[in-house]
Order: sequence, then C-alpha cells, then structure tokens
Amino acid sequence: MAAALLEFGYLFVVLAVVGAVALRLGLSVIPLYVVGGVVAGPYVAGRVGLPYVPNGEVVTVLAELGIVLLLFFLGLEFSLDRLRSSGAKIGRAGVIDLAVNLPIGVAIGLVLGWSPVESLLLGGIVYISSSAIVTKTLIDLGWIADPESEPILGTLVFEDLAIAVYLAVVTSLVLGGDGGVAAIGRSLAIAFGFLGLLFVAVQYGTALFARVLDVENEEAFVLRALAVVVPISGAALALGVSEAVAAFFVGMGFSTSGHRERLEHLLVSVRDVFAAVFFFWIGLGTDPTLLAAAAVPLVIAVVLSTPSKVVSGYLGGRAYDLSAHRSLRVGVGLVPRGEFSLVIAALAAAGTTPVMREIIPAFAVGYVFVMSALGTVLMQRSDLVERLVFRGGAADSETSAEST
Amino acid sequence: MTIYESDLPGVGKKHEVELGDGSRLVIVTHNSGKREVFRRASADSDSEKLFELTDKLARQVGTLLEGAYFQPVQTEDIETLLGDNTLIEWVEVGADSDIAGKTLGESDLRQATGASVIAIERDDEVVASPGGDAMVEAGDTLVVIGPKAACRDFTALVKGT
Repeated sequence: MAAALLEFGYLFVVLAVVGAVALRLGLSVIPLYVVGGVVAGPYVAGRVGLPYVPNGEVVTVLAELGIVLLLFFLGLEFSLDRLRSSGAKIGRAGVIDLAVNLPIGVAIGLVLGWSPVESLLLGGIVYISSSAIVTKTLIDLGWIADPESEPILGTLVFEDLAIAVYLAVVTSLVLGGDGGVAAIGRSLAIAFGFLGLLFVAVQYGTALFARVLDVENEEAFVLRALAVVVPISGAALALGVSEAVAAFFVGMGFSTSGHRERLEHLLVSVRDVFAAVFFFWIGLGTDPTLLAAAAVPLVIAVVLSTPSKVVSGYLGGRAYDLSAHRSLRVGVGLVPRGEFSLVIAALAAAGTTPVMREIIPAFAVGYVFVMSALGTVLMQRSDLVERLVFRGGAADSETSAEST
Repeated sequence: MTIYESDLPGVGKKHEVELGDGSRLVIVTHNSGKREVFRRASADSDSEKLFELTDKLARQVGTLLEGAYFQPVQTEDIETLLGDNTLIEWVEVGADSDIAGKTLGESDLRQATGASVIAIERDDEVVASPGGDAMVEAGDTLVVIGPKAACRDFTALVKGT
C-alpha cells in the first residue's frame, strides 16, 4: 500500500515538473506528460536502476478514467444542433479532411505490409487533429478572433463525431479478435446495438439524468456525474464496446440537460488530473528502443501527413469561402495531433499482434511528439509557410499584405 | 450597426461589432467567462488583441459602457450632478425673460417648478441664499438646485422657451 502511494506521489511529482517545463517553454503539456512517463517508467528509469513507476493495474485504471473523461467532455461540448445549423459547411470541410487524411495513414500501413486492421489504426492516428492543442494555440495566437477559427473548430467538431464512429468500429475489430468475418460481424453488431441503445437512452433519458444531477451540493454533483458516466463506460468495455464512445454519448446526452456548464466547470479539473495520468501511462508503456522499429513509418507519416492536413484544411477553408491566405491558415491550424491519436494507440496496445501491441503505440508517441511540436511551430510561423507556399506568384495581393 | 455572432465549439462564443470606419470590434467570450477583446482594422487584416477581462470585471466594465453606473446628462447649460438625479444648474436670465425686474417671491419659481435658487450671480457679485425679496434682473445668472426635471422646467420658464 505504502509502495503504491509512493509510486503515485512520484508520478504526480514528474507530471508537475514536466508541466512546469512545458509552461516555461510555451509547449503543449500533452507530449511532455508522455515523455515524463517514458523517462520515469520501467523502460528508462527502470533500466538504469533508478526508482521508477511500474506500469501497474491501478495506473491503468486511472488512465482509463482519463480516456473516459476526455471523451465525456468531447460529448458535452459536441452539439448535434450546432452540426445541423452550420452543417453544410462543417460537413464539406470535415468530409474533405476525412477523405484526404484517413486514407493516407491506411495506405502507409498497407505499403508497410501491415494487416488491414493495423493499417486502419494507423489511419486514425494520422487523421485526427488534437482539439486540445489546436484550440489552445488558436487562443494563444489570437486566431480565435479571426475567420479561420470557424472552419478549424468546425472541422474539429466533425472529427469528434467521426472518431466516435471510428472508435466504435475499430474497438470491435481489435477486441473482436481473429475469429474471422463472422466474429467481427458479431462484435460490430454488439457494438452498434449497445451504442444504439445508449443513444436512445441518452436522447430520451436526459430528463432522468438531469434529475439525478439536480443537487445543490458540489461534491454530490461531481460524484453523481461520475456515477453515471463511469459505470456506463465500464459496461461498454465489458461488452467489448468502446468505453470512450460510450462516454462520448453520455456527454452528448448531458450537453442538453441544462447542467452542461456546471459539469464543465466542476469536472474540468477532475478530467485534467486523469487525462494527465493517461498521457503519463501512455509513456509508461512506451519502450524507447521500439521507436527505432517505428522510425520508418514515423518518418513517412510525418512527411506525408503534414502537407496532407495543410491541403485538406486549405480546401476546407475554401469551402467556408475564405481567402487563400486564410484557408492556408486553416490547413496549418489542423496539423497538431495529440490526445485522440494516443487514445487510438491505447486501443491498439490491447490488440493481439506485435505491430498493434508494440509498434503502433511507439509510433503514436513519436508521431504525437513530432506533430504537436511541428504543428504549433507552423502555426506560430504561419507567415513563413505562406511565403513558402505562395512564392510561385499564385497568391494575389491579399496574401502578402499582412503577416503578424 | 450589425453584430455577428458565431459559435466557437469548445471555446465559447464570438461577437463581431461593426465600428463604422470599416473596422470591427471582436469579443470572444470563453466558456470560463473570460472575455478577450480584439480589433480588426479591416476585413483582410488579422485581429489585434486589445485586452482581456475576467467575467466579473467584464460585467462591471459593461455597466459602465451601458451607462447603468453613470450616464452623462446632456444639456446646453453648465451643470453639476449631485447623487442620482439632483442637479445644480446655472441659468442666465435673458433680456426678455418674464422674471426680469421681479423679486424671487413675485416670480414664484419654486412653487411652479420645484427648483430653488441658491445664489444669484450679478457681474462679479454673488448673492448667496437669496430671500423672497431678492430682485432678479436681466443678465443675472441664477444658480439653481433641484431634481433634473424641475431644473429643466425652471430653465424653460426663465428663458421663456
């Protein structure tokens, strides 16, 4: 018991220190939490004989809570009404984004000789931008006030929905094992049956949930919210259905309950703590020597998926009737990848093949590290990107007139 | 004036206010309550951040802008505001005013309007707390105290407008 508590103390010290470093350097905390986990975990600190945090069951459960809360919040802030109201534009930008970036990741996997499921996992990791990093950078740079923020945030909303469907499918494929088409079909049917039921329950049960949350006391409120979302997510996972998607649906149900703001306000620090543990746990499970094995896909993915996001984002910006200059910023603004790529990696780690268990998680850690840094830097220096892209004279006066 | 509103999923809401000179004031209200205020010089240019306010401070500044906390009173005369609704006002007696050549008692202004004369300025001389027998002449300036509406009536009567 004492040992476990000490390990957690160590874990939080590492998170606090790397968090401070990230703040000081102006970097995103997500990749640094992961690095903290790698360094303080069995594969680095453990190997050189220093005290280390073992990749035990308790950390795994708390990290799982992190995934659940991350997706729960995503659902809370996701609104079907919003998607409907500016649906045509979001839809166009979102479909372009999906149609360009998911296939590139899948193609890389297939070219490397990976199985279709492994390649699909790679596709998801490469496809999904980081809501957390992108949104924070938009605010930091002041782009949030400019027209490009709307297609960027709209595309993120579309990605949220796409990732919910994607995780539902891929979880069945990974956890459904290798029992052939029939088994896969059965696990897909269970997944969509469960999620369909959950969707109906959340749609029509919002009033009931809202009554459960109708309590003045803050402590009781937080506990009741967790008492709804965690058991439902756990039941989903027990059935081989994505716990993350279940949490997303519960969040979506709560978003119309009239308690949304209070939930966000009171649960945000709970989410941040467990999300940090999740990122740390991803690091714990990463053997840096495996990064060498993941180096080839990593380099290919970085080289191909950076320009592909810029291009798809550019086209998405055009779908919003933005100028070439602003559309390019939309593309640059969607480059950072982060938390959801890691959620997919965590799912892959539960898989059966060596590629899923070892290569993909190591790949995801390296990829998120590169793309979060590269994406943020590209956003900060978007003036250079513009000059580079528009140098050929394709740009009109609007592009050169201003740069921050 | 047009105000554009748009959702910023995961962040909050954005309002853009046209300022008339082609520029726009952009207010980003975060879900946390924080407000960031930007100015965009033209449609093509980038927003320039002016300042940010916490939720509480934004509300206080908002009441100032709205005039709920202090509303400047517009009149042509010099006046001073006492408390919420009471003015001290300086009113010049015109040459053709009805009250020129009468005493304060005769002109019965306090009963008619509710505003009291607290001083009469004549050239360099000041008659403080004038009684009912104080004579008012054309060219005098009457210093009047009273509710805003009373002062307005008083000015109208004295100026004959």
